[in-house]
Amino acid sequence: MAEKRKKSRSENLFLRYLILGAWALFCVAPVLWFLSIGLRPRTEIITPTPVYFPSFSLDAWHMIWEDWPMAKYLRNSVGAIFGSVIIDLVLAIPAAYSLSRFEYRGREDIGFYILSTRMMAPAIVAVPIFFLFRTLGLLDTIWALMLIYAAINLSFVTWIIRSYMLDIPKELEDAAKTDGAGELRILWEIIVPAILPGIITASVIAMIFAINEFLFTLLIASTPDAYTMSVALANFTGGSDGIIYNAIALVAFIAFLPVFVVVVAIQKHLSRGLTMGAVKG
Amino acid sequence: MARIELENIQKKWGAYWGVRDVNIDIADEEFIVFLGPSGCGKTTTMRMIAGLESPTEGTIRMDGEVMNDIDARDRDVAMVFQGYALYPNMTIYENIRFPLRMRGVPKGEQDALVRRAAGLVELTDFLDRKPGALSGGQRQRAALARAIVRQPQVFLMDEPLSNLDAKLRQAMRVQIKHIQRELKITTVYVTHDQIEAMTLADRIVIMQLGAIQQIGTPDEIYNDPANTFVANFIGSPPMNLIEGRLSEGTFTAPGLRVEGLSPRYAGKVTLGVRPEDCTVTEEGAHLQGSVYGVEPTGDVTYLTLKAGEKLVEVKADRAYRAALGHVESVRFDPDRIYLFDTETGQRLR
Repeated sequence: MAEKRKKSRSENLFLRYLILGAWALFCVAPVLWFLSIGLRPRTEIITPTPVYFPSFSLDAWHMIWEDWPMAKYLRNSVGAIFGSVIIDLVLAIPAAYSLSRFEYRGREDIGFYILSTRMMAPAIVAVPIFFLFRTLGLLDTIWALMLIYAAINLSFVTWIIRSYMLDIPKELEDAAKTDGAGELRILWEIIVPAILPGIITASVIAMIFAINEFLFTLLIASTPDAYTMSVALANFTGGSDGIIYNAIALVAFIAFLPVFVVVVAIQKHLSRGLTMGAVKG
Repeated sequence: MARIELENIQKKWGAYWGVRDVNIDIADEEFIVFLGPSGCGKTTTMRMIAGLESPTEGTIRMDGEVMNDIDARDRDVAMVFQGYALYPNMTIYENIRFPLRMRGVPKGEQDALVRRAAGLVELTDFLDRKPGALSGGQRQRAALARAIVRQPQVFLMDEPLSNLDAKLRQAMRVQIKHIQRELKITTVYVTHDQIEAMTLADRIVIMQLGAIQQIGTPDEIYNDPANTFVANFIGSPPMNLIEGRLSEGTFTAPGLRVEGLSPRYAGKVTLGVRPEDCTVTEEGAHLQGSVYGVEPTGDVTYLTLKAGEKLVEVKADRAYRAALGHVESVRFDPDRIYLFDTETGQRLR
């Protein structure tokens, strides 16, 4: 009896690994495939039969760094994304503190209004935003991208941070008040350190959205001066050389890598951040 | 050091009365305990003293100065919270030092003060740990150290021992009282535990439904309760309250007859007698009932008798044993019988 149970258990485990393994392969295979395209010579890309074991070539690698302004696009991406996250945090932390802690008329409405900015299709505001930035003279700059990414992400960054703040016992603030701390001190020295995981989660999600943002970047960055990875990739064909698939694949892989690494590093916090509010502890 | 006066304090949330008509004059260096069931307004009253809530009406004074509009951080009070409220990201040392930093105590003096406070609560070995790495008792002591470190005018303690086990609670009780006596700081302590109240307080304030029921020393509260609520709340097991009729100085209820009471009252009254003022004896017995339960605890045996529909608790000799249903007679100490108005619950004196 016991042996039978043991056997069925190990079969069970095997089945579980089989299913999970298959799922993982399904997700990872395309990534590995385009990495392999990126690292093979141009001649082995478009062939009548698939080349499963291509020869190794760094042609594409040299091409994107030397003939193509890869470094500039990366710099633009990093600058616009980090800038936007910093703007978000500077605005969202005090806003979330206010929404989670102070009682005033219209508080719920303001909270809802902030969230509602996520509810419409971005294309609706695309034209007004274009004119707005043209008037401000910010077209084709990463400053405009910073602002637009920050505006897109501000609502949910505020809401994620707010719900982390709601989890902090009120007693902690009362203690700080009787200890002689003012509101800003309480926010900075007590609340922010206590919700650091929430702040990190919100920042990473904002980064991922910003990296993938395409519509507004395309609208604002009309010349390669302000291209970020997402738009540069879309515009990248190789010009007179035709479509250089191996270089495109490599650029796509490089664009994907940082997000992947960050998500793996913080996945524990991330799953909490994404499900947060679903179950009240 | 401070004297605290609460004058006609009211706290309302919409139509709900949190606290009503609270008048207390707390003397300098006094240890006062607010006692009552949850929701009785004791914590709210304390939070108003702290400045964390403001009264809807009434005046709070400290040393004669009106405090109503003064922020919590500008009142010289320190508070210990039920959940300890230690700052999770700081070490114990930083936690204790926090009020010193906030109050602008010169850097050079901070270290000595932190170590002295930690020494008072025997936490010196744990200063570099985070609160998460401490046991409940140690966290409690850390919270206490943070409160005493800057020698405030007033200590406020909100059920500080309720999360500890019984043994630790007793040890901490002694420590809190000792520290309060040593530092001579006016202390307001909130609890629902009557033993804590009796052992710690100079005076006890008993509250129910937002209103004060009685203020007095532990002896006064125990020996001279103002109404049935106080009589029932203080004492373990609580006072027996038996409804019956009084006429011409004789109280009668099923199985019970007590003569020689005050002839001034008549009609429906409630007789109160504490289990410890009852003796199992035939001689001059007041009550007859059948044994409902016998609970030996080691040093005493609690006997529960059923008289009519009423269960009456009696503290009997430690060797007392009886079979269920056995009919037993009990005599009350005639000097320790209390009469209450059944309608209002107020004491009839």
